[in-house]
Amino acid sequence: MKHKPFRGLGAILFKEFIVVWRDPLTLFFFFFPPLIEMVAFGYALDNDVKHMAMLVFNEDRTVESRQLIDRFVNTESFRVVGEVQSLEQLKSEMRKGRAYAALDIPPNFTRELMAGHSAQVQLLVDGSNSTTALQALQTGLGVALTQSLESLLRETGRQGMPVDVRPQMLYNPAMRAPNFFVPGVIGVVLQIGTTVAAAMALVRERERGTLEQLLVSPLSRAGLMLGKLVPYLCIGMAMALVLFTIMRFVFFVPIVGNVFSMMFCTLVYVFALLSLGLLVGTMAENQMQALQMSMVFLLPSVFFSGFIFPRETMPWIFYALGALFPTTYFIALMRAIILRGANFFEYWHNLVVLILMSNLLFFLCALRFRRKIA
Amino acid sequence: MAEPMIEVEGLTKRFGTFTAVDHVSFSVGKGSIFGFLGPNGSGKTTMIRMLCGILEPSDGTARIGGHDIVRDLEPIKELIGYMSQKFSLYDELTVNENLIFAGKLYGLSGHELNERRDEMIATTHLEPYINRRASQLSGGWRQRLAMACSLMHRPSVLFLDEPTAGIDPVARRELWDLLFAFAGKGMTLFVTTHYMDEAERCDHVGYIYMSKLIVCGEPDELKRLPDVNPPGTRRLDVTCDHVTTALHAMHEMPGVRSATVFGQSMHLLVDENVKRAHIDEQLHKVGVSHAEIHEIGPSLEDVFVELSAKHAAERQEAA
Repeated sequence: MKHKPFRGLGAILFKEFIVVWRDPLTLFFFFFPPLIEMVAFGYALDNDVKHMAMLVFNEDRTVESRQLIDRFVNTESFRVVGEVQSLEQLKSEMRKGRAYAALDIPPNFTRELMAGHSAQVQLLVDGSNSTTALQALQTGLGVALTQSLESLLRETGRQGMPVDVRPQMLYNPAMRAPNFFVPGVIGVVLQIGTTVAAAMALVRERERGTLEQLLVSPLSRAGLMLGKLVPYLCIGMAMALVLFTIMRFVFFVPIVGNVFSMMFCTLVYVFALLSLGLLVGTMAENQMQALQMSMVFLLPSVFFSGFIFPRETMPWIFYALGALFPTTYFIALMRAIILRGANFFEYWHNLVVLILMSNLLFFLCALRFRRKIA
Repeated sequence: MAEPMIEVEGLTKRFGTFTAVDHVSFSVGKGSIFGFLGPNGSGKTTMIRMLCGILEPSDGTARIGGHDIVRDLEPIKELIGYMSQKFSLYDELTVNENLIFAGKLYGLSGHELNERRDEMIATTHLEPYINRRASQLSGGWRQRLAMACSLMHRPSVLFLDEPTAGIDPVARRELWDLLFAFAGKGMTLFVTTHYMDEAERCDHVGYIYMSKLIVCGEPDELKRLPDVNPPGTRRLDVTCDHVTTALHAMHEMPGVRSATVFGQSMHLLVDENVKRAHIDEQLHKVGVSHAEIHEIGPSLEDVFVELSAKHAAERQEAA
């Protein structure tokens, strides 16, 4: 008899589309959590630190000291939330968490300044949140440096700075956090629904005993696996379209590169995720196990894929770990295409890895399927 | 026997150190109904799964329709149908869709597919439920649908794993009527069960006990086995009140080799010299006044009880 590699694919597609369509709960869990996560992540993940609460202890009470406070506020990094009357009160308020930073201007500030001495002010920073602390520190030092330079320049009579750096921000000129995060969020959010759904689809057949029925039939392995994948691939791509739409019109992230390449990369990515899900499905005994095993893959990928933290600064072991997740390459691709407008010759290596990965995962599934049902 | 459809030689399945099926050999003729019996966990399902190509045997060979189950599985898949214990159906699909799916799986399409479906619906009387979801069918109808699905591709051999477990007696009877009709048309049936009345209906039965096939043959043949009818003994049916009290008394009576309860009566295997009067007397002593006693031949259940006891004893001696 001739060997037909996709034998039975039509039957599985027929059945799988009906099953998916008639199971609104699965569809709901496929679509709803990712949408919520997308919106939540999109708004919450923002490392632009602005208008940090600052306390002021002004013992000097002069025009000059008030000008200094204004300089801090004008950076937009700080806003004054209150004045305190003693150092004790200042420290207590900081402990309560009322402010991230506090500015202490000593009584002799203006006098020292006028006398041409070094006028000291103290900036207290709450170091328990490293992001805000860093920002507060940099802004504080910047303010001091600018003011010092200005007075020095006045004294020397020199026009302009000796070195003048003119930064030009490429690709994300406004430094908007959503531009950086949202394409990554799409990668992370897509993988949850797809991987779990594919794993569940297979485990459910095993739990019900229908898998046995399929194995007795002349259905081919590729027919079964593709039949399971294609319906979820359709749902996954629909999902991706919705997410990209939200990215473009809710978070206003412009798509600089080619939309079709973006969608093609997404197709490869979703295919890889679904293969991973099926692989989990061949290993898990029941739905609970399938869920837990999926999480083993999903959670680390959030940290090591470069979604939030740049991979290059990680210890080598985590850097290497990140290379194992399809999400890593997808996020790199999305940032390249959406933000930097990269063309095929500028991002192809990531795409090739993703294609190899999806094929490898699919192949592994097929191997696992060799009568591993006992 | 007609030309063999299933031939099994020394088939063995080991899971780690546990041997689930231990060198089992038998053959099943074309168009016959083969009943595969044994207690739970004796290896019935493992045997079926090996024959259907779901499990790979550890040792031995088997052929179905002349094809080897390991090396030549693909043509076997076209030949066989399989109905598992769970009546595996897709709950989200209607009766009609389940049948269409089963047909498509075997490459049926278009006119042929619809015709076959109509035929199956007519045979199993599923007409009123065509558009009902499988999840909304009761046990008996689920079983019929499962059977109709496994028959869509007109298999030459149908494997049924405890097809009547959890089904009401009427549905059970109707299923067997259907099975006889299929066998009459030349289909070979391989049925596992632990209902003795079902075993009696089979052309051939095999009894598997502790992973070994301990007997195989026609029911009547088995009932005449010397192991079941030791020389110098006879078998009696004793109908009386207080069967459990009576059973106890019989166990202690000399000359009684075995005593087993069968519903309202007991079956005794006694030495020939034990007279009915002796039994009456013994029963009187424990307060059982009225007993009807008559001689009977062994039932299939007697056969299996005797043979399992003998097999267990032999095993113990060997160990």
